[in-house]
Amino acid sequence: MPPTQAVASEDQEKLLEEAQQVVKVQAFQMKRSLDKGKLMDGLKNASNMLGELRTSLLSPKGYYELYMSVCDELRHLEQYLLDEYQKGHKIADLYELVQYAGNIVPRLYLLITVGIVYIKAHQSSRKDIMKDLVEMCRGVQHPLRGLFLRNYLLQCTRNYLPDTEQDESDNPETAGGNIEDSIDFILLNFAEMNKLWVRMQHQGHSRDWEKREKERNELRILVGTNLVRLSQLETVDVERYKKDILPEVVEQVVSCRDTIAQEYLMECIIQVFPDEFHLQTLSIFLKACADLNTAVNVKNIIIAMIDRLALFACRDDTAGIPADLKLFDIFSLQIAGIIEARSDMPTEDIVALQVSLINLALKCYQDRVDYIDKVLETTASIFEKLKLELLKNNTAVAKELQRLLKIPVDSYNNILTLLKLEHFVHVVEYLDYEGRKTISAYIVNNAIDNNLPVPSQEQVDQILTLVAPLVKDQPDQPEEEDPEDFAEEQGLMGRFINLLQAEDADQQYLILNTARKHFGVGGNKRIKYTLPPLTFSAFRLAFTYKELGEEDDKWEKKCQKIFTFCHQTITALIKAELAELPLRLFLQGALAAGEIGFENHETVAYEFMSQAFSLYEDEISDSKAQLAAITLIIATFERMSCFGEENHEPLRTQCALAASKLLKKPDQCRGVGVCSHLFWSGRSTESNGEEIHDGKRVAECLKKALRIANQCMDPTVQVQLFVEILNRYIYFYERGNDQITIQVLNQLLDKIREDMPNLEDNDETEQITKHYNNTIDHLRNKQESAEEGPSFEGLAL
Amino acid sequence: MAEDGSTKPAAADIDTSRLDSKRQTLDDAYAAPANFLEIDVCNHQTHGIGNKRYTDYEVRMKTNLPVFKNKESTVRRRYSDFEFLKQELERDSKIVVPALPGKALGRQLPFLKKGDGIFEDEFIEQRQTALEEFINKIAGHPLAQNEKSLHMFLQDKALDKNYVPGKVRNT
Repeated sequence: MPPTQAVASEDQEKLLEEAQQVVKVQAFQMKRSLDKGKLMDGLKNASNMLGELRTSLLSPKGYYELYMSVCDELRHLEQYLLDEYQKGHKIADLYELVQYAGNIVPRLYLLITVGIVYIKAHQSSRKDIMKDLVEMCRGVQHPLRGLFLRNYLLQCTRNYLPDTEQDESDNPETAGGNIEDSIDFILLNFAEMNKLWVRMQHQGHSRDWEKREKERNELRILVGTNLVRLSQLETVDVERYKKDILPEVVEQVVSCRDTIAQEYLMECIIQVFPDEFHLQTLSIFLKACADLNTAVNVKNIIIAMIDRLALFACRDDTAGIPADLKLFDIFSLQIAGIIEARSDMPTEDIVALQVSLINLALKCYQDRVDYIDKVLETTASIFEKLKLELLKNNTAVAKELQRLLKIPVDSYNNILTLLKLEHFVHVVEYLDYEGRKTISAYIVNNAIDNNLPVPSQEQVDQILTLVAPLVKDQPDQPEEEDPEDFAEEQGLMGRFINLLQAEDADQQYLILNTARKHFGVGGNKRIKYTLPPLTFSAFRLAFTYKELGEEDDKWEKKCQKIFTFCHQTITALIKAELAELPLRLFLQGALAAGEIGFENHETVAYEFMSQAFSLYEDEISDSKAQLAAITLIIATFERMSCFGEENHEPLRTQCALAASKLLKKPDQCRGVGVCSHLFWSGRSTESNGEEIHDGKRVAECLKKALRIANQCMDPTVQVQLFVEILNRYIYFYERGNDQITIQVLNQLLDKIREDMPNLEDNDETEQITKHYNNTIDHLRNKQESAEEGPSFEGLAL
Repeated sequence: MAEDGSTKPAAADIDTSRLDSKRQTLDDAYAAPANFLEIDVCNHQTHGIGNKRYTDYEVRMKTNLPVFKNKESTVRRRYSDFEFLKQELERDSKIVVPALPGKALGRQLPFLKKGDGIFEDEFIEQRQTALEEFINKIAGHPLAQNEKSLHMFLQDKALDKNYVPGKVRNT
């Protein structure tokens, strides 16, 4: 083959311009000759014009432009000949005449032009002309010239190919042809064009190969047009497509062993022929995929087909997938075959194929969970055969695999359906720690978003096994983790626990136990996120039993068990060297036990309170935390009414003692102040749910608080404490504590008024002054209003 | 092919009868060309000093033609070697040997030459391109492919100007 001369692009433009100029001149002369009725001269001009298409120097782009101009001009000739024919002039010998043109390229263009005039004029010899033209075009074997010549043939015959079952003419000798002739015609043209196209790669120096392949890709549509023409034949039905068209096309595609051609043409087949045809010929198509070059990206081809059919299945205007067509099975089988046949297929591509299978199953067979599971099973067994190690996160395979796993999660939006996929977990196991954790978090997030309860112990067990990377330490876990990410994940698990909701209480108890077993082994870092919501869930369950009291005669025993469960769970947190959290949980538990009031509840509540005290005494050392904790203990205790005096007294005393033993004087002062409420609004069983109103003890507490305040060195803090104590005095005075008198209030007011002006002028003082003024405003209002209650007469404001 | 078809007198409207031609098999249709031959002339180097100074070129050949013993070969040749080949072919083969790029006498004569004469880079590049064109034309010719001189030129490491001329018959 002669090497094509490489011509620089600026020269390309010049060459093209020159050629266009010749075309223009010759076309002008041709038209003039034809106008004068000089047909022979016109043909000569046409031939000269067509001679420009003999060039080897133009790039495909330039050649295309030249070709388009020539085609434009040829239309004049065609129209002239048609007019002549209609005027009754004989043109029969033209078909022979043009074959005397000296060069093959102009000769064949002219032959096609004349041939088409014949076909358009009288269809009787159409069949023979079509056959002759498509055969004669073999005369040009230069790829670029041949491709455009055959493109001209294809353009000219458009809309004029026979498209009926029966011959269109009665005369068998000069038959107009039928659909079979059209199919043969296009298939032959296709085969020849594909051959020329594939061959282009060999034409020229090997160092220009890449550039040539790029140019070749630009020309692909010329070859693809043949398939478009085939798809436009209306007489072609599924049977004919299956029998006459697809096998022939596929044979050319496979035989050409050319990657560019194979990728493009397979894609082309998918796009141009209707879905109904594809559905009936999948096996042929997919078998061909297995035979394509190893370099061909078969994955993309199959995915394109699946996507197209999946879309078809979802469309409203079609009958959908015929019931007898085992679409999933066919794809599943053929894809397995392709994977087997192509041993060098990258693992990520294998996974991508499984992804597309899952998409197919989800779109076409929404209820068939077993199909999805089958894909997962296949994936796992392929991995097993490949003896894959754990897939590193962010590798192509791992990404693809995560994509695969996320599809059922997203499409079901139901974690319980997901659990039906037995092989899901087997596939997850191929991911490394990061990957497994990502998927786990994805599943849990999805469950939370969809807010569907998980109602059985078995399901809870399955889920927590599935998302194990979020539940407990993993063998392949890194030493250090980002604390923020960790907190976020565990927070997620905490939220997830709220979804564990059985329909009946006994089942819920089992669920909590199962969950407890899983979360219990989560290690100190995790349990602080997971055990508290579990404990709250248990408290809720105890309340549920209380409501069920009438139906369930064992409810009290069950509550007892729940509180034992809670006790153990909270104790686990203490073992994890936590203090404030278990302290609060114990208080919450004591409150719950007291409120539910099952048999033995007082003992339980006392135990919980005393545990809280122990934690306070043994584990909490920071003075701020101590004050906060004792305030909370006192406040909780104040709300409780389940204790008999026998228990109430020691607890009360313990509170007062603890408050007065706080390290810092201001803390002591405040602690004792808070404690005063216990002697007023505290309740015991002896008081029958009424507040005990021990005014004397209240006054003692407040007096003690004042004494402590007096001991404070810092005048600002001192005044602040006085104002706070004043408020407590007022509170109890208003509630009718007769131990508190106007005189006491006046004394305290005097003290404050005396000290206040000596304070430094700063933000704190301003705050205190504001607090004081508000208090005075309140008292003034009280004094002036005619409300019932203790009188504020004599108060010196 | 069209131009070879015999045209019978018209019996019907149009006569499209042709001689039967043999169908190409799919393997043939899509086979890589059986006559692949590509020769690059590149990597020019100038050696020596004074009047011993000369330039040579790498002649690199790739082919799948059965007539050549080696399917790939690389040798170094200088302009005079190309001249030698031309002379041998003109004597022994019946082909019209294309012209070599000029000798550039003007660049060689001391009183005419400007700059580096025949050792100017630009000049060497031009000559290299012309030599590549020359050798591709020759080597692509079936009759030249039978000449021992061509085979020796392309494939033997050293060019033996005292070789015994003759024909090659590798098939």
